[in-house]
Amino acid sequence: MPSTSPSQPLPVSAGFDPEKAGKRAECDGGGPAVTAKYATREDFAGTLTGEYVDHGNPPWRWYLMVDLTRKPEGYAWDSVWCESESIYLIDERK
Amino acid sequence: MAKNPLHTKLCDMLGIEFPIIAFTHCKDVVAAVTNAGGFAVLGEAMHTPDEIAADIKWIRSRVGDKAFGIDLVLPASVPPTGDLNELKKKIPETHWNFWLDMKKRHNIPDPKGQVALHQWGGLNQEIARKQLDVLLEERVPVICSGLGNPAFILKTAHERGIKVFGLVGKARQAKKEAEAGVDAIIAQGIDAAGHTGPIGTFSIVPECVAVAGDTPIIAAGGVTTGKHLAAALCLGAVGVWTGTLWLASRESDNDMIIKEKLIEATADDTVYSDCISGFPMRILKCAWTEEWAKPEAPKVLPAPYQMLLSSDYIQAANDHRRPDLMTEAAGQGVRFITAMKPARQIVFDMVEEALATFEELTGAAAE
Repeated sequence: MPSTSPSQPLPVSAGFDPEKAGKRAECDGGGPAVTAKYATREDFAGTLTGEYVDHGNPPWRWYLMVDLTRKPEGYAWDSVWCESESIYLIDERK
Repeated sequence: MAKNPLHTKLCDMLGIEFPIIAFTHCKDVVAAVTNAGGFAVLGEAMHTPDEIAADIKWIRSRVGDKAFGIDLVLPASVPPTGDLNELKKKIPETHWNFWLDMKKRHNIPDPKGQVALHQWGGLNQEIARKQLDVLLEERVPVICSGLGNPAFILKTAHERGIKVFGLVGKARQAKKEAEAGVDAIIAQGIDAAGHTGPIGTFSIVPECVAVAGDTPIIAAGGVTTGKHLAAALCLGAVGVWTGTLWLASRESDNDMIIKEKLIEATADDTVYSDCISGFPMRILKCAWTEEWAKPEAPKVLPAPYQMLLSSDYIQAANDHRRPDLMTEAAGQGVRFITAMKPARQIVFDMVEEALATFEELTGAAAE
């Protein structure tokens, strides 16, 4: 079932996944480019802390990536939230 | 009689006549293409959940039981904070001055109303999730994810009879989405309009076909003619995803000035530039792109700063309908758009040319 009606707050829950903690990863990230109505693509690489947040039900899981070794030029932050299915673990890459 | 080469797995999956998908932000184009035997997807990333629900009802009133899709931009990464007003304060003075000087030299007026970007407020997980919930609630026939991996929603969508498509720019994304169980994957090349992956259509399509197993691949990027459609099928795709093609159609709600610019444009009139949003995207050249390409221009800012800087320009250009200032995302196939045709005619012309191409190649007549 969808998680909410548009007027209700979205159920959000935070947690910690020890399996992911400390893993080096890449994220094929991105978001909307508002003025142009289209999506942008952004690449990140860094270390997952293991912290996650689930948005809605069924849960849409996001992991926190820190110690960024690759990020878009000028990216102003030291960390990024990455959608779980957009993450590629570097040390498990075939 | 030879098998009809245009009757693909995609036609069976969606109950359509031709394997042509129109991506558009205009509801009238959705209705026209759907009723002509193609498939259409309405881009709704910028809309509120209520607006999306209203659009779905409108489309259903025009196409009946025929299948259509809604595209959302599911974010795949989000910065820890994202207050637009705070971000705007961080834009360097040199960049504001460059914009103000350009504004004076090109006699660019102020926007007439509030800038849409500033009212919209951005897209985070919560807003995207609520948009998605409307699509599930309304049981839209196809949900398309224009960016992020839609794996988390697959089970719920499939339980409701909804198909889910994902758009990718790299083969590894296609592999992951195929393994998750998406119903089809759109492989988009750098030839496309807007923000794209770094790989050309002729390479990304067969790469994705090779890694996606039984999951059908749809080709995107520069697809504008029947010959492109035929070529895409030869690359292993089951259909094509087209965007620029519909921007100058009779039904399109684009400004006539933009339609005229698209009809006159060739690939050389497009530019792959990061000066609008901070990310490279293919658009029609305009005063803004020309100014930022000059050697004396400051370095383009990263997203989201550059799009905050460009938003006044874009809004002013559209509000005042200045042909020299206005721009639109456009793919490299734009030169093949030569007239303002009805969407139905565009579908039929594409089909006719594709069939003729196959006939030329094989010497066999299609059914």
